Amino acid sequence: MARFLLKRIFHGALVLWAVATLTFVLLHVTPGGPFDRERKLPPEVVANLEAKYQLDESLPKQYLRYVTGILQGDLGPSYKYLDRGVNEIVRDTLPTSALLGVLAIAFALLVSLPVGLFAAYYRGSWIDRCLMMWASFGISMPHFILGAVLIWAFALQLGWFQAGRWDTFSSAFLPTITLGAAPAAYLSALLRSSLIEALREDFIRTARAKGIKESLVLVKHALSHSLIPVLTVMGPLTASLLAGSFVVEYVFAIPGMGRFFITAVTDRDYPLIMGVTLIYTALLVCANFIVDLFYGFIDPRIRTE
Amino acid sequence: MLALLLFCVSCKASPESNPGGSDNHFRVNLGTEPPSLDWSLATDHVSFNVIANLMVGLTELNEDLKPTPVIAKSWEIADSGRRIVFHLRDDVLWSDGKKVRAQDFEYSWKRLLDPKTASEYAYILFDLVNAQEYHESKNLDAGEIGVKALDDVTFEVRLRHPASYFLSLTTFEVTFPQRQDIIEKFASRWTDPEHIVTNGPFLLTQWKHENEIQLRANPNYFLGKPAMERISMFMVNEKTTAVAMYEQGQLDFIDNQSIPTLEKRRLTKQRGFHNVPQLRGYYYGFMTDRKPFNDPRVRKAFAMAIDRSTFPKILQGGEKPASSWIPPGMLAHNSKIGVPFNPPEARRLLREAGYPDGKGFPRVVLAYNTDEVHKLVAEAVQGMWERNLGVVVALENQEWKVYLKKLQNDPPHVFRLGWGADYPDPDNFMKLFTANSGNNSTRWKNPRYDQLIELAARELDPKKRAKHYDEAQKILCETDLPIVPLFWTGESTVLNPRFTGLEFNSMARMDLRHVRPVETSSAQ
Repeated sequence: MARFLLKRIFHGALVLWAVATLTFVLLHVTPGGPFDRERKLPPEVVANLEAKYQLDESLPKQYLRYVTGILQGDLGPSYKYLDRGVNEIVRDTLPTSALLGVLAIAFALLVSLPVGLFAAYYRGSWIDRCLMMWASFGISMPHFILGAVLIWAFALQLGWFQAGRWDTFSSAFLPTITLGAAPAAYLSALLRSSLIEALREDFIRTARAKGIKESLVLVKHALSHSLIPVLTVMGPLTASLLAGSFVVEYVFAIPGMGRFFITAVTDRDYPLIMGVTLIYTALLVCANFIVDLFYGFIDPRIRTE
Repeated sequence: MLALLLFCVSCKASPESNPGGSDNHFRVNLGTEPPSLDWSLATDHVSFNVIANLMVGLTELNEDLKPTPVIAKSWEIADSGRRIVFHLRDDVLWSDGKKVRAQDFEYSWKRLLDPKTASEYAYILFDLVNAQEYHESKNLDAGEIGVKALDDVTFEVRLRHPASYFLSLTTFEVTFPQRQDIIEKFASRWTDPEHIVTNGPFLLTQWKHENEIQLRANPNYFLGKPAMERISMFMVNEKTTAVAMYEQGQLDFIDNQSIPTLEKRRLTKQRGFHNVPQLRGYYYGFMTDRKPFNDPRVRKAFAMAIDRSTFPKILQGGEKPASSWIPPGMLAHNSKIGVPFNPPEARRLLREAGYPDGKGFPRVVLAYNTDEVHKLVAEAVQGMWERNLGVVVALENQEWKVYLKKLQNDPPHVFRLGWGADYPDPDNFMKLFTANSGNNSTRWKNPRYDQLIELAARELDPKKRAKHYDEAQKILCETDLPIVPLFWTGESTVLNPRFTGLEFNSMARMDLRHVRPVETSSAQ
């Protein structure tokens, strides 16, 4: 186990370093810089700005300083938000994104488990067809349309929820559904196909032959076996939901981290882009690691390997 | 698109329902997080809109865009305009109870120019003696800059040459005073609500990043406590959501930050809707050092083939067609200058330049940065040039920073740009196209034009200045035409009918000092 842990930590660190390096290189080859403005700044002003942020140094030197900073837990200053550093921005916004992500994951699981089970059990029936049509709809519906429709219906027409902002418990309702709808639909479809396959396995036939109740066969034997593919997608899905969604945060005016994946790039705020990318990568590495551990609990064969 | 369609079909909620609001609580949308509340570092109008409600400076703009006294109760201009002495009021207090002194201005101006501050607006004060040299770190001491507090209430400014526009600069937030003790004590955290010290009508009480800013009325404001006890400034990026929040009564005021282009037509019918003309010009520039636009006849033909009256119709934001460059409301604005829409004359000029009915005209590109409004304008102009000149122009759009880089390195034949006033003086607009201006992307040079701009800047008599600018505008917009002004922009605003007194000026500043409920104002 210790060897497994060490190996995974080493792999995780390697991935983080590769992402950090690649992001650094890509940012510096992308046209446009942080101080390009519609009002072109006088050269002496640009020189002082570059000196302040040490952008006047050579690229290898900047890279070394950047990597050293990361190792010390310092993600650097933001070129756009002048009163805060990237660490503070992440500290202020990541918890909100993570909370919304957790709610969306909970919503997705709460919906997808019964839907997947019903669709698989009644496969080929009208129930299955209706549920899978809903799943296709959920997967293909873009966030910005679903969010706008929910605002129109539940905020403007019915007046049950506020149109935007993140300040009361009820304000989480519409964004959670918007963010969780696509994963819920996708997980439902995945679970259904995985369950259908499991229901054809010999051990299910044996369980049924032993006279075990159908509900127990379905939930205890088939479902646990079908969770492997669901778990596989849960890793990246969890990481992306926790790190925040640009569209959902934008549409519902949620003070999360997701917006920076886009705005930091358009602002060429190098430290902020690199900071949020690294946070996302770290979340992804951790989520995949946890998923790998869960594999072992669900399927003892994997544990042995 | 679907959301907009749905909005247009029906909106049950009413802004007057005002859930969560009250008569002394006013809620606006900033659109985005202000990048900085340090007025030496702020560069964008979101930050300035917060700062403008927290702070006052030497002067402010009146309705005619002239600087009027605020902290400076009077001033004297001496030495042919090279020396200005401001006499300050002695009853203006900082929020911690200390008096605002001339030394606070001296510190703020020197801080703005300090290379270590790395302020993007440092150049605004380059007219001060030794300011540019100090900013360029030429081993100068800050004491050698032409600003000095002669005593607590007398502030002296020395200029390297007469600058008729200089008083206008003192209305700009970057010149507002600052407290040296506070900034040195809290460094980059001095703008946090628990540290910041201000002198304006409102006090910063809370700054929830990416979410909202809370202000409360300053009971010690020297011009009287504002009527609104509380101000909430939300940061709702998505315009459709902001309109929905206004309709639902969660916001009391929205402007262009919150109104999608396609919603403007519907909102014009609402009570409280206003279009406020802005000191912001929108133009197309020609690359004048490259064929075919190195020929002024071609540039003039292209300018004459544009029907500018189309833009207000397609954009619906209160735009005003522009044939000259200095906007209405500013000294030396002259609507008679510029070339009119005249397709026959445009075709004649193009024929004279060697392209009869556009035949043989090379493939040219009209470039703009990716944006819904710029696309609408570009497509309209593309159609006009094709119809009126027989020339097919290719459209190209790029992401903003890529576009700016392209303008520097590989400029297209025709490009879009705009300019908004930093201070309401024609110098700020006309200097743009001088030979040494970093913002002149057309590569056009005309020594007479440069000379006129210099003369106008140094001239203190407004009539003589206007004459210089008239001549310069004729060169810019009638004879040489390195640019075609298309329109001056407008700001669409909607104020909840329950309130009155909000002042939104032509530089997109939102002044909340006089906002009050309608009932109170009627009673008064």
